[in-house]
Amino acid sequence: MDASQADALRDAAVAAFAAAADAAALEQARVEHLGRRSPLAEAQKQLGGLSDDERRSVGAILNALKADMTAAHSARHAALEAVELTARLETERRDLTGPARRIRPGRPHLLTQVEAEIVDVFVGMGFSVAEGPEVESGRFNFDLLNIPPDHPARGTMDTIYVDEDADVVLRTHTSPVQVRTMLTQQPPIAVVCPGRVYRADAVDATHSPVFTQVEGLLVAEGVTMAHLRGTLLAFARALFGADREVRLRPSFFPFTEPSAEVDVSFESASGWLEILGSGMVDPAVLEMCGIDPDRYTGFAFGIGVERVAMLRHGVADIRDLYDADARFLAAF
Amino acid sequence: MRIPLSWLTSMVDVDLPLEQLVERLSASGLEVEGVTRPGAGVEGVHTARVLHHEPHPDADSLRLVDVTGPGGSGEVRVVCGASNFDVGDVVLHAAVGARIPGMTLEARTIRGQVSNGMLASARELGLGDDHAGLLVLGDDVPLGAALDELVPVGEPVIEISVQPDRGDHLSIRGVARDLAALLATELLPLPELAAPPSEPGIPVVLTTDGVGAFVAWTLEDAVVRRSPLWLRTRLAQCGIRSIDGVVDVTNYVMLELGQPLHAFDLDRVAGGRLEVRSASGGERLRTLDGTDRTLETGDLVIDDAEGAASLAGVMGGERTEVHAGTRRILLEGAVWDPAAIRRTSRRLGLVSEASTRFERRVDPEGAAIAVARAAHLMAATAGARASAATTEVGSGGGWLARPQVEASAGRIAELLALDLDAQAQATLLRRAGCDVDVDGDGLRVRPPSWRGDLSRPADLAEEVVRLHGYHHVPAVLPPLVVRGGLSPAQRLERALREAVLAGGFDEVVTRPFVGDQVAAGVHPSPGRVRLANPLAQDAAAMRPGLLTGLLSTLRRNRGQGRAGMAVAELGRVHRPVDDALGVALDGLLGTGWRWHGPDGQELPLQPRALGLAAYGARGGDGWLDESSGWDVEDVLAVVDELARRAGVGPLTRRAVERDLWHPGRTVVLELDGVEVGIAGQLHPHASDAWDLPDPVVAGELLLEVLLQPAREGRPLVKAPRLVRHPAVVVDVAIVGPEDLPVATLADVVRAAAGPLLDDLRWFDEFRGSQLPEGHRSVGFRLRLQDPERQLSDEDAERVLRAVTEGVAAVGASLRT
Repeated sequence: MDASQADALRDAAVAAFAAAADAAALEQARVEHLGRRSPLAEAQKQLGGLSDDERRSVGAILNALKADMTAAHSARHAALEAVELTARLETERRDLTGPARRIRPGRPHLLTQVEAEIVDVFVGMGFSVAEGPEVESGRFNFDLLNIPPDHPARGTMDTIYVDEDADVVLRTHTSPVQVRTMLTQQPPIAVVCPGRVYRADAVDATHSPVFTQVEGLLVAEGVTMAHLRGTLLAFARALFGADREVRLRPSFFPFTEPSAEVDVSFESASGWLEILGSGMVDPAVLEMCGIDPDRYTGFAFGIGVERVAMLRHGVADIRDLYDADARFLAAF
Repeated sequence: MRIPLSWLTSMVDVDLPLEQLVERLSASGLEVEGVTRPGAGVEGVHTARVLHHEPHPDADSLRLVDVTGPGGSGEVRVVCGASNFDVGDVVLHAAVGARIPGMTLEARTIRGQVSNGMLASARELGLGDDHAGLLVLGDDVPLGAALDELVPVGEPVIEISVQPDRGDHLSIRGVARDLAALLATELLPLPELAAPPSEPGIPVVLTTDGVGAFVAWTLEDAVVRRSPLWLRTRLAQCGIRSIDGVVDVTNYVMLELGQPLHAFDLDRVAGGRLEVRSASGGERLRTLDGTDRTLETGDLVIDDAEGAASLAGVMGGERTEVHAGTRRILLEGAVWDPAAIRRTSRRLGLVSEASTRFERRVDPEGAAIAVARAAHLMAATAGARASAATTEVGSGGGWLARPQVEASAGRIAELLALDLDAQAQATLLRRAGCDVDVDGDGLRVRPPSWRGDLSRPADLAEEVVRLHGYHHVPAVLPPLVVRGGLSPAQRLERALREAVLAGGFDEVVTRPFVGDQVAAGVHPSPGRVRLANPLAQDAAAMRPGLLTGLLSTLRRNRGQGRAGMAVAELGRVHRPVDDALGVALDGLLGTGWRWHGPDGQELPLQPRALGLAAYGARGGDGWLDESSGWDVEDVLAVVDELARRAGVGPLTRRAVERDLWHPGRTVVLELDGVEVGIAGQLHPHASDAWDLPDPVVAGELLLEVLLQPAREGRPLVKAPRLVRHPAVVVDVAIVGPEDLPVATLADVVRAAAGPLLDDLRWFDEFRGSQLPEGHRSVGFRLRLQDPERQLSDEDAERVLRAVTEGVAAVGASLRT
């Protein structure tokens, strides 16, 4: 075989490969031009009968011819595959812009989220979390908090009783958890007490017989009112924004003296919004709970989780928090 | 407490714009709830005398009235709908062009008669609620005078909320006094008083500790008539209805000085003498409001010769009431034991202006001054002349004591984090009316008579910082010397909640009360923690389980047409102390989970629990896979995952038949043979009763069981050894009777396969005619592995033989 014959074979093969419209046609062309019975294969078989010189020159021609034909075949093969893939992908087109199957884990309740956020602020400052029963002894809920038996708050208009004679109540705040903590631990004590509490209020847009509190208590040597203010300022900034200020106003609670209502600066008419009650733990409370009031001082505060949730998230009706409408649950 | 500005400034030299005054009060413990301006907008309303009136010719209920005109002369015709006046009366005429709140007056024709303006009622002028007739004045006002020049109608009235320990704020004088202390300004002298008559008054005997001072003046020659305009205006501004010139003065002085007073008709006081005593119970008394009341032991009562005449400190009696014909008045001012008044007031549900003040303690030295003040005013309003006076002082119980308080100024300054030395603190306390001796760091303080709240060093600290200003307290973070953070159990509880939510259940918070309709979950029991004073019939007890609240939630949402919903709640459930649930938990946890009161008495059981409930389409409304519904497997999957997370278990399942539940699709979940949960599908009747479409699935788990080990210190999870040798998979089909549970078969297979078993799955269930009647075939896939070596066919054979023997022992066989 000479160079011109080889050129003719190459041209024929390249043309056949190029003309193949699909994989089957290409395979047929491959068998014809590169297969075992192709002119190329036949020529290779005859190489053995040639002289050394001839074999060398013809062999080189045949090798080059095979390489060219194989390359042409590969190129066409790749091109055809690309076309087929494109065609297949076209048939696989799906509209993913519409709602498809969804992974829908449930949502934590807004109260859970806000409570955890509040608790975590104090935990970050070094507070622990203390827990106690919701059905509580009146002595823990009232007496040890300086609320004597004839105090109006203990009346059935304000407090839900389980047993009036045995003085068992639905706790009206989580302060009895503070009492339990003080009775069983010596200072330094730094706890927050989250949980449900109860008042004898009928359900309406702003009242609920059950609601959620996070109360806090710090008792140690040298605790001052400045520490109360600093702690609550840190809380207000964590929950409402770093630019907030707090304002303390004189108030009255039986278990703190001095007592303070705490306002946070807010986008309201007066520029302030009342968010919690607080004060320095009344020495009488410390004493009743077995803590030496001459040695230790402390502060306490009580945050209404519903109030914080409603302020922050624009919840207008407290019933929405307890009525569990699916649309409300899915919003947070 | 409502404070008309002009009244306040008559007692204290304050020169602040209203806004600043309000802010100052609010920042100092006198929280301002609002500022109103009753009568604001009244303009061109004049006093006028009624000259003549006649019926309207064309309307029965109207009168044509001629009144004096501007300047008190002339004659103006007005059409009027009221009839509570007569010729000669002085009324208020809003002439043409005048304004009253909400309208400007014009000449109008009413049924053919021209009305030149109108005659006004109290309500129309913002001077009270009375709308039944005209505001008829006495002769104390000039004719033709503008109302707004006679009285400060439309001035600001500041309403403050009074703290329970600051009864002294329940008067204009008290607020003025505090304001003077706060602003370090001058408190103006007391208003004019009558001189005490020297004649002894009627005999008064005090036989109880419940009374301090008791002052009773005799006033003669009284004429009971309507009050002057200035007096009525101030009462109206404070929200108190005008009665007459006697009663109004007692109310006025109460508002002014904080001391409630009572006026008896002395001619109706039987025997002309009084006894103050503690009721022995059973006596009856008709109070001023016309109600017959039965007294109880401890009520304080004032008797005359005929028995109870007045319920001391709460409300006077009808029998001795002042009336139009009263000529002789017994004006009484007394100081009562706050606790006794509070008890009586609470018991009777009777809260009066007087009881509110006595409950919060009135100034024990204020009664004589208040009576003298009222006597002075009644001279003008009722022509009454003070002729005799009785003053008795009760022995008083401990409630009258006013101890001297000793405190360390250094400790107070430290507590407040304020740089105030003893002298600075003394200066502040003196402003509040205290007598203060300073001795080095020591303060010896005698509080003024009106400050019952200052009895301990902590009280002094509050007064110091209040007068100095709370805003001076710096903000400093406490240097905490304790290690905080969530406990392992608290962290686990959060993790469990997340696992529940990952299962697709939305968390809800429901009100934890139940009525009669209760859906029973784990450990069903009739035991309830009932409420003594429930708010409603359907909230008569605390929930014994969580399912009631959850099914109510589903019902409400179903009522709004939702195609499906899945909810979960984590919360406490409540049972009586002796409930079977408690015994069961004790068996697993000991008694550490129970709660006790101060003397060790046990409180009702209130363990934590998880409830789950779901119905309908899983994707909710409008999703493509509407056919996929909530199934009992979803509930079981969550519960199992929780147990795995908590490292507790495994929870075994045992089929049960119980009320509420589907008899063939319900299991209790057991730990060490103790029921700790339930999961299943509701009985179709139950779904129906809760207005929910079948199937409804639900479950309940006592979380206490999962949390307790974490409280006690759970061992750390150790990393599993990851075996690299390939696993051998063996599938077996076990034929057994229908009532042989998969759980039992799995246990048998596990035991038989031994340590080689890496994983066991139930992958198939088959019933058919090839099998004996009442039998099924259950397919298990066993994954076998050994960490040390590659397993051979022989190993698989050995396991298979063991399984064959094992299942035979429980009455099943391997299907071949």
